[in-house]
Amino acid sequence: MKIFITILLKELISFFRSFGLVILVIYFFTAEVYVAANGMEIEAKNVAVGVVDKSAGGMSKKILSNLHSPEFQTPKFYKSQKELSDAIYNKNIMVGMIFDEQFEKDYYKKLNPTINILIDSTTASQSLMAIGYIQNILMKFNNLELPVALKMHKLFNQNADTGLFMGVSELLSVITLLTTILTAIAFVKEKESGTWDIMLLMPVNPKIIILAKSLSQIIIIMIGVVLSVGLILFQSLDVPINGNLLHFFILTFFYVATTAGIGLFIAAVSKNIMQISQLSIVIMMPIIFLSGAWTPIYAMHPLLQYLSALSPLSYYIEGCESIFFRGTSFVDLLPYFGGVLILGVILYWYGFRKIGKLF
Amino acid sequence: MLEVKDLAVSHKKKIAIKNLNFKVDDGKILGFIGADGAGKSSALNAIAGVIKFDGEIIYNDFIYKSPKEAENIKLNIGYMPQGIGLVLYKTLTIKEHLDFFADIRDIKINKEFLEYKNHLLSMAGLEKFLDRRAGDLSGGMMQKLSLVCTMLHRPKLLILDEPTTGVDPLSRIELWEILEQSAKEFNTISIISTAYMGEASKMDDILLFDEGEIIARGNSEQLINEIKPFVYEKTTTDKKHITISDSTYCLENLEIQHQKPTLESLFFVNALKKDRLLPKLQIAKSKESIDKNIVVMKATKITKKFGDFYANRNVDCELKSGEILGLLGANGAGKTTFIKMLLGLLPLDGGELELFDKKIKDSDDRNGLKSQIGYVSQHFALYDDMTVRENMMFFASIHKIDTKKSVQLIDSYSKELGFEKYLDEMPKSLPLGINQRFSLAVSILHEPKVLFLDEPTSGVDAIARAQFWELLKELKNNRGISILITTHYMSEAEFCDRVVLLKDGEKIADDKVENFYKKFPNAKSFEEIFLEYYK
Amino acid sequence: MRLRIIKAYFLKEMIELIRTKMIMMPYLMPLLIVILFGYGIKMQVTGVRTLILDNDNSQISRKMILKFEHSKYFTTTVKNMSEKDALREIKKANIDAIIIIPSSFEKNSLKGIKTEIGVFIDASFPSRSTTISNYIQGVVMDLANDFNINSSGMININTRNLFNQALRDEEMIVPGLIGMVLLISPAILTALIIAKEKEEGTIFNFYSSPVSKGEFLVAKLSAIFFLVSIAIFVIFLVASYLFDLPFRGSFFLFWLASEFYVFTALGFGLLVSIIASSQIVAIIVTLMLTIIPAFMYSGMIMPISSMSGDAFITAHIYPVMYYNHIIYDTFLIGQGFNSPTNISYLLLLFGYGIVLFLLGLLFLKKEIK
Repeated sequence: MKIFITILLKELISFFRSFGLVILVIYFFTAEVYVAANGMEIEAKNVAVGVVDKSAGGMSKKILSNLHSPEFQTPKFYKSQKELSDAIYNKNIMVGMIFDEQFEKDYYKKLNPTINILIDSTTASQSLMAIGYIQNILMKFNNLELPVALKMHKLFNQNADTGLFMGVSELLSVITLLTTILTAIAFVKEKESGTWDIMLLMPVNPKIIILAKSLSQIIIIMIGVVLSVGLILFQSLDVPINGNLLHFFILTFFYVATTAGIGLFIAAVSKNIMQISQLSIVIMMPIIFLSGAWTPIYAMHPLLQYLSALSPLSYYIEGCESIFFRGTSFVDLLPYFGGVLILGVILYWYGFRKIGKLF
Repeated sequence: MLEVKDLAVSHKKKIAIKNLNFKVDDGKILGFIGADGAGKSSALNAIAGVIKFDGEIIYNDFIYKSPKEAENIKLNIGYMPQGIGLVLYKTLTIKEHLDFFADIRDIKINKEFLEYKNHLLSMAGLEKFLDRRAGDLSGGMMQKLSLVCTMLHRPKLLILDEPTTGVDPLSRIELWEILEQSAKEFNTISIISTAYMGEASKMDDILLFDEGEIIARGNSEQLINEIKPFVYEKTTTDKKHITISDSTYCLENLEIQHQKPTLESLFFVNALKKDRLLPKLQIAKSKESIDKNIVVMKATKITKKFGDFYANRNVDCELKSGEILGLLGANGAGKTTFIKMLLGLLPLDGGELELFDKKIKDSDDRNGLKSQIGYVSQHFALYDDMTVRENMMFFASIHKIDTKKSVQLIDSYSKELGFEKYLDEMPKSLPLGINQRFSLAVSILHEPKVLFLDEPTSGVDAIARAQFWELLKELKNNRGISILITTHYMSEAEFCDRVVLLKDGEKIADDKVENFYKKFPNAKSFEEIFLEYYK
Repeated sequence: MRLRIIKAYFLKEMIELIRTKMIMMPYLMPLLIVILFGYGIKMQVTGVRTLILDNDNSQISRKMILKFEHSKYFTTTVKNMSEKDALREIKKANIDAIIIIPSSFEKNSLKGIKTEIGVFIDASFPSRSTTISNYIQGVVMDLANDFNINSSGMININTRNLFNQALRDEEMIVPGLIGMVLLISPAILTALIIAKEKEEGTIFNFYSSPVSKGEFLVAKLSAIFFLVSIAIFVIFLVASYLFDLPFRGSFFLFWLASEFYVFTALGFGLLVSIIASSQIVAIIVTLMLTIIPAFMYSGMIMPISSMSGDAFITAHIYPVMYYNHIIYDTFLIGQGFNSPTNISYLLLLFGYGIVLFLLGLLFLKKEIK
């Protein structure tokens, strides 16, 4: 036990002394998460609209006065349809609205007036959202009495604030990537600096060395997670947490251990840090790809849906989203814990054996 | 003609060399000699025009004061920086190197050039390996190839930074033949730094570097004559002195027999002059009595193969307790592989190994023995990001030495081995000699019965090397530790009790040092004996 | 500029890249990114798992359910369960939306009384939730239209999707990915091959020889430029055939812009390599410098026209948005050389490359630091 702690301490000391790594870890856990939360905007906001108004102007002005921030920029006016489409072609605007001469007359005559809308669909999702906004605005002007009204409840994130979501997602990716790389580096650094032989000659059971080394990196990551959650998610981004924070940390611990297993595997087959960075990308990309981080799993090809059950990240992401946003109770979280744990035991065991063979 | 005036170079705000003044004539070989970090490389870099410097350098009639101004004479310069095969591209073949260097130097390809090229190649003995990649060459061949590439454009000013370090004696002799011939035939100026004192005799003029300054100048005979009055046979005295190996150095007159100085003696005399007395290093005697006739290690027909290549082939070797056994051989002779097999870092491909009378078959057999063995690897690999003290605490704890005793051990070893000043520094910032002694201390913390040392003296300066050997003797005499040491400094064979010579993975000689001299009565040094075997 | 020196370095670089297998890098890495992200990023939402609680079980309510079932956007289940249980399902992330039809739906509609339909959407993934709510509104509007066939005075919207009629994600993402990989891969490769010489010491061959800085740079960069130039065509083919992208513009413009853009990317790598002393530092710094702009300030995720303030300025500082503008034009729009914007951006890219190259020339020193 004393030896275990000695090795653990040595790893921690040597991590905190390597300036580059510390900076890298701090950068990823803070700046990277923060930038992702603030910079990645998938919602249509601040949409640039162009207008050609050939109608008398009263009605159209009323409609246009409803296009305002945060969804829209103040509309830009163009003289002709040609100018308008040129503006779209040059990407100065994303949505063009054309009110024809008949528009106002038709409106008062109740003759179904038409607005022609051109959208730049190279940015398909934002364009569609912008159309949705315009439709909502027009609802108010329709004389139509609808028999139904929708009462929308957006659960867990009322304002549909993308930043919070992106912040949490990014943190999960950062955990995945850093755990793999740090664990692999902890071993390969010894290969590179020639201390590997010294390590082999220590009168210590290799299992203790491997356990202590991987635990040290897990501790570092956990410290990073606590920092990131406290300073960035809660302090700067004000992310709400609807579930139990303790559940999150426990799940994270299991997940980090799982990824450390992948790190062990990479360490076993890499000779230098260059190879680690290449291998990590090759191995982690599919894991992230299959995790549902980009596309919901239910929307994937059926074959991929089965494969995604093999990505530990898929359980972890769902689980964390449930804890942060859905406020799911512990019993309902069990499948995620189970998924991470089962894959974790397998991956860690495999990595452990693989690196153990080098001793 | 090359003239250097008031040259000074600083590196990261530290002065590497200052007030350097000298002149060399065409066709002469000028040697730079000095310890690690004495400023030789900085001076060479400045002359080659690849580092910023103060002062001025005059080559023939051209004056340059900065790397930019030096551009114009780079046509005439051939520069080979320090490091084995440093300027070679590992994946390119020898032929591709020659083509590449001919192209970037814009050399006209004509009959004359081809003749010259073939001449260089045959001198270096590389003409048979044109299609071999640089990464697959031995250290000696790499250096020869580097030299050929450096000389391909017939430089008039040849600057070589330790071209022979780490190269086996045979290759070293060949390298020097190329250099001497080129100086004679093409009237080139050669400036060469070296760590081998033996090479000094081949230089026309020598500058002795110490801490960024020149402390002596002349040819090897003049330099030796200058210090003659200060070198005595081993003795004890109250006067300020340094005693090491079989000599005593003292600036004052002692009433005993003088000894013939060597070039190494220059450094000791210089240390005395600068009042840098060497701390007395010693190791406390152990209480247990020492039994001299136990066989600690016995290897029978040990073999190691890498693919088709035999790194070791049927090597027999025995190590008795209280013995220093030197394992000597050229680069690539299989010394490191052999040690690694003894340690269990590489599996045996054949043969048998016994340690402390126990047959070693698999790693389980070793487990109990790990605490009996100490090891210092090439380049003293310890943890760079922990201080000396932390490293020692770490290894003590790994060997289950309790904290109180570890603190005591660290205290006593750091004093005995003379590094207590450096306890809280990082290993990387230490002088190589200190690093070496501290690594030794780490390896004997757990009081092993046998020590394996892999090239512990390479790259370390003469004084530190001499001190290190003193320590090994102490360990042997006072602790009864058996030591197996590899080295490529042939002169160090003299300090061993017994020497095993390896060549191409096979043992070619194994005998007591005095018996070697009996076999070759004409040999003046062990280097010559070594060459007899290698020819 | 001596051609012989350039030839020598070019050949040397090629041999090294082939023998170290690094030659795969300008092909494998970009293809991996284009394929993975191209298939992986889906902005459109389909198959939303919707649970409908039909408390009315009337003709109208069934009609409404039918509408949801027929939409490709929804995968519906109709169940009888309490609202509380349904909410728990959403918490377990088994479903994405719940629609609750109240019991008096048909009765009230016939009487002309407004009925409120409750909709719950999982907004953990916010942008997806916005899209889902828009879809649901669309279906319900559609239903309402069926009731008021002779509604009059309603404002119609006649939407035309320019460029990407089918609103395919691939058409939106893949050209942007090309802009990303053609920046990252040449930049990393350049930074690597110069940092490698520094790390291994072979840079001394350049320091100590009369090879000029310009010759060295042109020679080193030409090898990568050549390799990536081939990669441009490979990536183009993958984009066109694997992702079935249309190509509406001028191929010459695409090619020219890509070469200019690669040239600027080389400049980036060059500047990084001047400060980076080892290969690993070169990789990390290049990635930090290139991934974020290639993703966030490229117009791929967020349109440049929607940006404001700092983001708008930052986007204009990086070269990515200029290239992306041209590349979206050649794939989807097809204005080509008729658009003055395209031409000015093309020149801008070229100028950008020249400036980076000159900066590299200025900062590169033929001496040890």
